[in-house]
Amino acid sequence: MSAFTLPSASLLSQSVLSGIFVGALYGLMGLGLSLNWGLLRLINLAHFAFAFLAAYLCYELASRGLDPLLALAAIVPLFFAIGAGLQGLVARFAITPFNSLLLTFGLTGIVEALIQSIWTADFRKLESSYAQQKFKVGTLFVPVPELITLVLAVAISAAVWAVLRYTDLGRALRGAAEDAPIAAAFGVNQKANALLLAGTCAALASIAGVCLALSFTLAPSQIYAWIGVVFAAVMLGGLGRALGPLVAGTLIGVSEAVTMAVTAPSWAPMVSFTLLIAVLVLRPGKSA
Amino acid sequence: MKRTPIAIVGAGVALAGLPLLGLPPFYDSLLYLMLHWIVLATSWNILSGYTGYFSFGHGAFFGAGLYTTSTLLARFDWPFLWTLPVAALVAAVLGVALGAIVFRVKGVRGELFALLTLAVTFVIGTIVGNTPLDGGQGVSLSAVPVPPIGPKASATFYLLALAAATSTLMIAWGVAASRFGAGLFAIHDDEDAAEVMGVPTYRYKLMALAISCALAGAAGGIHALFLSYVTVGEVFTIAVPLTVVLMSVLGGTRHWAGPAVGAIAITGLLYSFTAADHAIAGKAATGAILIAAILFMPDGILPRLQRVLGRRRTRLPSAAPAQPTASALPTAAEAVVAAPGDASARDRRGATVRVGAVLLQVRGLDKRFKGIHALSAVDVDVRRGEILGLLGPNGSGKSTFINVVSGHYAATAGEIRFEGRTLTGEPAHRIAAAGIARTYQIPRPFAQFSVVDNVALAAMFGGAVADPAAARREAMTWLEFTGLAGRAEARPDALNLHQRKFLELARALASRPRLVLLDEVLCGLTPSETDAAVALIRRIRDQGATIVFVEHVMRAVMALSDRIVVFDHGLLLAEGAASEVMKRPHVMTAYLGTAAVAGARP
Amino acid sequence: MLKASPTSRRSALAAALFGLVVLGGVDSPVSAQTAGAPIRIGSTLALTGPLSATAQIHRIVGEIYVEQLNKRGGLLGRQVEWIVKDDQSKADLARTLYEQLVTADKVDLLIGPYATGAILSAMGVAQRYNKVLVHHTLGIPSLAKYDMQFPAWSLGADPATTVPNTIFDALAAGPKPPKTVAVVTNKFPSIQFMTAGAREVMKKRGLTEVLFLEWDFGNRDFGPIANRIKDAKPDFVWVGAIGLDGNLLLDAMKKLDYVPPQHFYLYPAPGPLVSLPEAKNALSVTIFEDQLPFTSAPGAAEFVKIYRERATKAGLADPSVETQAAASYTAWQILEAGVVATKSLDDKAIATWLKANKVDTLQGKLRFDGLGNFGDDLMRVKQVQNGHWVVVWPKEVTSGGAKLLAP
Repeated sequence: MSAFTLPSASLLSQSVLSGIFVGALYGLMGLGLSLNWGLLRLINLAHFAFAFLAAYLCYELASRGLDPLLALAAIVPLFFAIGAGLQGLVARFAITPFNSLLLTFGLTGIVEALIQSIWTADFRKLESSYAQQKFKVGTLFVPVPELITLVLAVAISAAVWAVLRYTDLGRALRGAAEDAPIAAAFGVNQKANALLLAGTCAALASIAGVCLALSFTLAPSQIYAWIGVVFAAVMLGGLGRALGPLVAGTLIGVSEAVTMAVTAPSWAPMVSFTLLIAVLVLRPGKSA
Repeated sequence: MKRTPIAIVGAGVALAGLPLLGLPPFYDSLLYLMLHWIVLATSWNILSGYTGYFSFGHGAFFGAGLYTTSTLLARFDWPFLWTLPVAALVAAVLGVALGAIVFRVKGVRGELFALLTLAVTFVIGTIVGNTPLDGGQGVSLSAVPVPPIGPKASATFYLLALAAATSTLMIAWGVAASRFGAGLFAIHDDEDAAEVMGVPTYRYKLMALAISCALAGAAGGIHALFLSYVTVGEVFTIAVPLTVVLMSVLGGTRHWAGPAVGAIAITGLLYSFTAADHAIAGKAATGAILIAAILFMPDGILPRLQRVLGRRRTRLPSAAPAQPTASALPTAAEAVVAAPGDASARDRRGATVRVGAVLLQVRGLDKRFKGIHALSAVDVDVRRGEILGLLGPNGSGKSTFINVVSGHYAATAGEIRFEGRTLTGEPAHRIAAAGIARTYQIPRPFAQFSVVDNVALAAMFGGAVADPAAARREAMTWLEFTGLAGRAEARPDALNLHQRKFLELARALASRPRLVLLDEVLCGLTPSETDAAVALIRRIRDQGATIVFVEHVMRAVMALSDRIVVFDHGLLLAEGAASEVMKRPHVMTAYLGTAAVAGARP
Repeated sequence: MLKASPTSRRSALAAALFGLVVLGGVDSPVSAQTAGAPIRIGSTLALTGPLSATAQIHRIVGEIYVEQLNKRGGLLGRQVEWIVKDDQSKADLARTLYEQLVTADKVDLLIGPYATGAILSAMGVAQRYNKVLVHHTLGIPSLAKYDMQFPAWSLGADPATTVPNTIFDALAAGPKPPKTVAVVTNKFPSIQFMTAGAREVMKKRGLTEVLFLEWDFGNRDFGPIANRIKDAKPDFVWVGAIGLDGNLLLDAMKKLDYVPPQHFYLYPAPGPLVSLPEAKNALSVTIFEDQLPFTSAPGAAEFVKIYRERATKAGLADPSVETQAAASYTAWQILEAGVVATKSLDDKAIATWLKANKVDTLQGKLRFDGLGNFGDDLMRVKQVQNGHWVVVWPKEVTSGGAKLLAP
């Protein structure tokens, strides 16, 4: 068999679409992480644990008959509270960004143990009505769960971007991230803002978790499977930039998908990460 | 002989006798794992902890060493011990190749460097997994005999790892205690300032990376045989780099022994919870302990232990200065008397110091920043022994001039000649070594160094004093010169602005420069502080240094400068004696604007 | 240098103390082996980490077996105690823990851990201390080079050839023997070599390979792969799947409105696959299923019942016995047989006896005199029919007229 095959147009376009969908999930998962890191100087590994916890909760509620999207109404506020609570705890101690890595790693272990003790290590798949539905646009198949993820990712990223850019709150957050003492001198209430932001980030993680539950099978150890690629999307997209993770995630997802369409899929990580390296070396600091 | 290396080697030798104690061989394996992680975490720290370039790619270099050994063993039947230096070499070459490209790119720092190294891990992992190096099957080494170094196989691995760990700790200590290490720590605190002080940052980063990778590669080689069956999925993931980061942060990244402490703690923690009944609870408990540890020991375990045990940072024995640390500011007379060296020793090339000969010659200097033309065809001569003032309204290019001459920025066009040597395009550290020093308008001391260490660094790099102990002695004399001797062991953030400015001066002087560039030294000072500073600047010139200074405070300019040049919008507007130049109409216009001048006319 | 290092000795000492304090949590008992004292059998399992989903099955089986064994009077008139530790899905930890079991805890006998990597680590330790090792989940027979190891999973010595032959025999005897095949596989070691063998077998049997794809373990996006399969229009898809790959691939295919005519999954996570509607008619392999004639083996029916109870209580999604649980049970049976027949705990004697004799197990009579102590390939073909796994080949092990279905 030849190493490269020329894909048909439909294969290529479907693959690009597939890459966009998975990239949107990377972006949605990365958004909260990026904001946390860029604006609060906290590298929150537990972000992934929160996402999975939310995914499992969604699974649990769905298996009792609740529509997964409606479950958001319960899940999002819960995680907002968890995130704000975590920030409240952390703010009492002087935590550097790399200390926070350790802290949140410990938290991730606790959450993983919690998940495993409740739901066992078994694989769990959420069976929802959405999973069966899809649209057809020309020759392209557009499955509904992935579409939901994409729509949520785009809408939320855009909303966060707008808030950061155009509202006073957004300016206050960005200012405090750049120079906290000066921002405080200008009357920015950092404590309250930090709680708000941390809560939002956790809420974003929970939304990503619900999208995860809609499309993927869950297992406690899967928490770690996403860390590498989502970190890559976050760092490539520029910390604290609302649209960054989405664009970077899409870039990674599409490059991998296209690779899988034209050659041996096992080469996919190399292509996407070589692309990343090239972008960094040739245009550093310029995020997509 | 210093105490620390003796202690390390002694511990290593003592622990080597462990297999002879007749303990169950299980302990050999457990300790092997601990030592293995000590090597990985400490080697990571040599680059990432010391310089601040947090790498997420340690797995790539560890894996490179692991697969080098596996391939040599399985495919080419090499004897095991000979594969280890090759494994180290392969990993080091890989690291240096990566660093050579990445460190050249100015913007790749912080998280971008972390991302890049993570990406490299995945790329190499994919290559290894898709080529005959592994191909997906894994490499089985069960047929390879373990060299009989110890009484049993587990003892052999233990001894190998012990040797590796001892060497790694020695290297880590040695680096931290050397001039090289000081440079690395300076890069951590402020890379650009370090470069300007004379630290060859690019070369040093590559060296640290090479050492770090070589040690990781060697650890990988040993581990390959320990596992006896290696697969890509176990090695080229984020798990290894994440673990070493956690271990180092837990133990303390600034200290050479920090990562080792973290490695012991985390490995021990993982082992404490292997009983099946508590497996899941154990995981939660591990997490909780880590959280508690970092909340209550934010600098890491080791610094906290040091504080608890009551030992403060002391100096190296040979650096204890004979002079008592002065608590009062010396008067001007004392300072002159105590001024280090004498005038003829100052000039290393032996030429006598004469006012008048051209020291610095700038021709056609041009600097653009993407659309802003900061300097336009500037021609300036600076004569030996003079004090030259750079004046001009805000944004006129004065600071840019200093930045370009000192090498902080590269010139877009033009030529800079110093003492007959062309310095245009040279990296900042060479310019510093050539005899030019500068201060920053907003002081940029190295935050984690003490005051005296800040100055000692400049002495070591700009002034080429090789020995750290001698550099500290030199630094103390400069601190006395600037009146800061009483704050020698303080951190810069404990100083007020006036003291920080004087620290900048002491730093600039410690490299014994022939040309000192001062960037708005007096800004923010009270009148009496200004007087003290002016007196100090005069003393500096009296010792034979030439001074170019940017200033707004007029009375200081009038009092100090022999000549001034005036910039406006990047152009050199005027040049000459201070009192005369300031009266020229176009200079006044530049400062005050047209309307005011017009209003002054009848 | 500038950061002076004065506390080296003190801090090193403190660190060592700290480490030792923590180490003190490690259990290292040495109990006297007196007559009447329990026989201790030691092993590790991946109770946490990525492999824990399957390892939990082995834990339940081990507990059931040891309970039943003790009810029957134990071994050699003594009660049996199973000491199991968590290797956290890490092979290097497994190795060290086995070393602890043998040299510090001084267990009498060993039993294998879960999955190929850990088993190979444990095997190295067993070899060093001349302990017999019966294991239940080694996927690559050619790597088992130790003389005193015995497999409970009846793959046979050359599964890469024999298992695909079984599959293709079943397909050839079915209603629609395939002519074109798409081969897609995970690069996980124990999967990849089986797929390589399958490709050879296909060539020999004159089948046409229309697509060959490999993906990395941990791949998330199966869209393009599913698409390429669909475009290749194969009669049959061989999926070298482990764990969730099968599910993810079927999901992806469903999203493209594609159902492969006939499909096979090598080592899927059984529960999730069988309950997926898209997995209709999916084929796989097994050594045991909860149906006749397997359940007529001595002790099988009772074991299946107890396992179902325990697994349901533990919250497992799929509480039925299949390959994993059966192989685990078989391993214990083999070890018991060896001890009982030699009336001793002597590893060498047990190994010698096992090599020369046959053992009655859940899978039938097993022999260990082949290459690498492997015996017959007892892998059967099963198919998802109406949401259940039904064994369809070879005919002798089917029941109720079950047949391979093809749409």
